[in-house]
Amino acid sequence: MQITRRHFFGVMGAAGASVAVRPPTGHAWQSKAPPDPFGCLVDLTRCVGCRKCEEACAEVNGLPEPERVNCQCTIFEKDRRPDHDAYTVVNRYYTGKVDEFDKPVPTYAKVQCMHCQDPACVSACIVGALTKDETGTVRYDVTRCIGCRYCMVACPFEIPAYEYHDPITPKVMKCTFCYDRISKQGGVPGCATICPTEAITFGRRETLLEVAKKRLKENPARYLPHIYGEKEVGGTSWMYLSGVPFEQVNLPALPETPSPKLSETVQHSLFTYLWSPILLFGVLGGLMAWFNKNDNPPDKGGA
Amino acid sequence: MIKKIMVCACLIPFLAGVCTAEVWKAPDQEQARERAKETVPFIKEYKDDCQISRRICLMDAGISLDDVSTVYFLLDSPIIKEREDHYEPVRFAHKRHAALVDDCSKCHHFRPKDEDALETTRCSACHQDSFNPEYPERIGLKAAYHQQCMECHQQEAKGPVDCTGCHLKHVPDHKELVKLPDNPDPIQVTQACLECHDTQGEDMLKTAHWLWRGPSPYTTGHRKDILHGKGTTALNNF
Ligand code: SF4
Ligand code: SF4
Repeated sequence: MQITRRHFFGVMGAAGASVAVRPPTGHAWQSKAPPDPFGCLVDLTRCVGCRKCEEACAEVNGLPEPERVNCQCTIFEKDRRPDHDAYTVVNRYYTGKVDEFDKPVPTYAKVQCMHCQDPACVSACIVGALTKDETGTVRYDVTRCIGCRYCMVACPFEIPAYEYHDPITPKVMKCTFCYDRISKQGGVPGCATICPTEAITFGRRETLLEVAKKRLKENPARYLPHIYGEKEVGGTSWMYLSGVPFEQVNLPALPETPSPKLSETVQHSLFTYLWSPILLFGVLGGLMAWFNKNDNPPDKGGA
Repeated sequence: MIKKIMVCACLIPFLAGVCTAEVWKAPDQEQARERAKETVPFIKEYKDDCQISRRICLMDAGISLDDVSTVYFLLDSPIIKEREDHYEPVRFAHKRHAALVDDCSKCHHFRPKDEDALETTRCSACHQDSFNPEYPERIGLKAAYHQQCMECHQQEAKGPVDCTGCHLKHVPDHKELVKLPDNPDPIQVTQACLECHDTQGEDMLKTAHWLWRGPSPYTTGHRKDILHGKGTTALNNF
């Protein structure tokens, strides 16, 4: 049995051609983002690092009280991430910014689920345990969750955490956008309510974008001219303003294409008209027939 | 016998006082407390002046330290308490701040658009509930206080920036904590305080109460001609 180079390229060429001439799918990717979601605008130039948001979040969501709530002396020494015990954490960054006495100025940044407009986790969840709601919330339904943790892999911000310590009823844990509060008239998330400096502004996403643009325009020296989350991964409900580069406060540079657009386009085009399984089994069948044909004659010699 | 009568006579007005249960209240405290409860109508439109023109406006209007009518505020507005009530109210020494900052436009940064309105308005006239969808860029009263106070305290490297620096702590009942002899003299009382509050004692040595120096917003014409402060004159140093 030999597969010659020519044969191999012949077969691959045929496969390639069938991909190229496949009928137009008619399934161009479409965003499923809600039209008028809520959002939060986090202004890092206003945050004073008091960690009241952590405290309030734990209280309204029935989570354990954060470590050293009233003492900010050592907590910032380690870089923390949201986990199964905390939907949001505040970190401190020294970015090289100094005040007029050359003293380093810290920048504090709160991290939580960004509630993407087209969330990668929702797209990755194979049982629909995660959904993007009209309010803008990415909601989690534990009764559907099978614990595959695809969402954790898919999230570009590495937010969802898992209750590994709980073998019986583990849950995926992430900021709920205080859905129970914001879905009611006049409701505000716990963290935004308590923030003493309104570093977290709650409102409709469209309005917040206007507010953000106004702040950038009125105070160009205070801010970098960028609204993080306006376009990142297709837009997020939580957005940030900052006076220091976003990468320095652990907000990664991300493409403007929504993550699901790429994955879903690949997935959908693979399965349109079932061309890919048909092609795969066609090729396999062809190869089998070809091997059978080639294998038979030499057997005669009994070599 | 005579002694007994005298004691009884002395006790009578005292007992009478207890019976009517008239607890003495500091009038300025009461006034501040009442004032804190008031809410004023929301000012929708303001004049968007820059700080320099604002300052000139205030100067043209002839507003100076002498016009500061309220010496002291209790920042305890129902607007803030409506959403949450975690901290004791802040006591804000208005006149003292005015004297130190010496620039009303620092806090009274805008004025109402209505020309007939007063030059200086209360914070709570423009800053009320947070996240008002009709005025999304207007920050709420709580944020207005915190941003204004903390930013200035940071910039000037003066004044507290931590929570309990401004907000009162819940003060425990000291009757249980402190044991004083009957009829203590002033030095014994001070000593008892300093047993726990030694840092405050150190701080006190840097204040006008000890040094008799610093801004004098309350003296006539703000004169500063006090020579014999506790810190400077040994005779007075107790
Ligand atoms: S929105 Fe609610 S759940 Fe999310 S970080 Fe804020 S308080 Fe926590
Ligand atoms: S409560 Fe507000 S100011 Fe305090 S850490 Fe959180 S975001 Fe920053």
